[in-house]
Amino acid sequence: MSVAPPERHAAADPMEEVRSGGALMVASNVLTTVVPILGIMLLWELAVRLSHVPPAILPPLSNIFLAIWTMAYEGTLWRDVSATLSRLIKSAVLGMFFGTIIGVLMGYFRWWERALVAPMNFLLAIPGTALFPLSMIWFGLTDLAIISILIYEVTLTVMLNTWTGVKTVDLSLIRAGRAFGVSRFGLFWRVLIPAALPSIIAGYRQGFSRAWRILVVAEMLVSVSAGLGYRIYWAQEYFNSEIVFGSLFVVGIVGLLIERVFLRTLEVMTIERWGIMRDSG
Amino acid sequence: MGELRVENLVKTYQLKEGWNTARTLRVFDKICFAVHEGEFVSIIGPSGCGKSTLLNLAAGLDEASGGVVYVDGRKISGPGLDRGVVFQEFALMPWLTIAGNVEFGLRSKGVPAADRRSRAQRHIDLVGLSGFEAFYPYRLSGGMRQRVGIARALAIEPSVLLMDEPFGSLDAQTRETMQKTLGDIWQATRTTVLFITHDIREAIYLSDRVLVMTGRPATISLELNIDLSRPRNRHDVKFQEYEERLERAIGHTTF
Repeated sequence: MSVAPPERHAAADPMEEVRSGGALMVASNVLTTVVPILGIMLLWELAVRLSHVPPAILPPLSNIFLAIWTMAYEGTLWRDVSATLSRLIKSAVLGMFFGTIIGVLMGYFRWWERALVAPMNFLLAIPGTALFPLSMIWFGLTDLAIISILIYEVTLTVMLNTWTGVKTVDLSLIRAGRAFGVSRFGLFWRVLIPAALPSIIAGYRQGFSRAWRILVVAEMLVSVSAGLGYRIYWAQEYFNSEIVFGSLFVVGIVGLLIERVFLRTLEVMTIERWGIMRDSG
Repeated sequence: MGELRVENLVKTYQLKEGWNTARTLRVFDKICFAVHEGEFVSIIGPSGCGKSTLLNLAAGLDEASGGVVYVDGRKISGPGLDRGVVFQEFALMPWLTIAGNVEFGLRSKGVPAADRRSRAQRHIDLVGLSGFEAFYPYRLSGGMRQRVGIARALAIEPSVLLMDEPFGSLDAQTRETMQKTLGDIWQATRTTVLFITHDIREAIYLSDRVLVMTGRPATISLELNIDLSRPRNRHDVKFQEYEERLERAIGHTTF
């Protein structure tokens, strides 16, 4: 028994799709992105080949790619990438877990907030990298020495973002949640966490990129037997600039892929779909 | 069933006035009224008179300083699914679709999924939003969002529907359409409604009975039965007489 049609349809047709530009636009986008990169690569290659810069200082780009290919062929590349990624994922997952829980508690319960804000701010002022000597004293030259610092860093970052996110949840949503029968505990899952998700995910992104930066440095400091940071350091000791550069490229590409493919997808699937994104990065 | 009864309701606030002095602000004092089964009752009054506070107490979202609220003869303690609340600021969950929002209260009630879906669908159809089930709220206009708010509140099949200036943030044109829609929905469902508004014409258009709340501490200063056939005509002479009477009752008190 329908009563009356809605006064105005803000979004007229559910299936309507907005297209603009088309093939030409795609082509021009590709051109403006790819052409400058190719240009720089060509310039690099030519400049090194034509000048007499020693290859140890700046190897030709082709040699760098050859080095990456050799590493891939021999298998060291995959070992390094997987060692680095497994450290990153282990610590990011744990850090996100702890950070989200503590952050939500701080956002919701005044006592948690009072107790933890000052220590959190104090710890945030200490760069994670400065703690490596300490973690090496505690855990020795082990994976744990690296992972513990990463967990710490990710937890703090996620905690901060989650806390502010939960604190700024629109009060009317909490009231609506309570009015529609959500218990005090259910409020976490059904209102607070989803409502704070934009901030929580922003925290995850930030936590990931911080962890990534620290991780590569950590692998140089704490000598483990595989990892991209370790590889760069190792190659420097052997004065193998091709591998140093090659590994740096891999670091850049893997970092970019994590950011673009994994974290962006997470965002698109949640907050962008709900239309509560502040801006798309 | 569906009766709301308010007895001797008191609300006070402590206002701090310096480091060791506080003043007690009495918002309203010993308010008594009842909304009978199937009745549409509006409370009007100048802004700041405490009418929204009164609704919050009935919803159980705020605590009374004294007095009791009964729903179907049971004393309320906190929020409950025997009352459906419609908020001025819509308060839809942005991460849920329209269907998800309408199902929200049913989920708390523990209604099984299939049943939940069909009940939600029935109420989405009732408010005229068929076809928008999978939309997220941000894609809807203000009027459409409040339709979702109404559907969400009705879906739990409450004894009493509590509406806190539900059309207060809509533009004038949309507001009139929504008043008509609500009138039609009410005639179709005959739910007991307590409706808060500051719009006199809105109150006359929709209500069986209008209560005027004025003064500080506020009291019910006038109770007026609206004896007009539905659907109502805003240009009717009798309609305008009611309007003048209510205007006079509120007129001189502002805060």
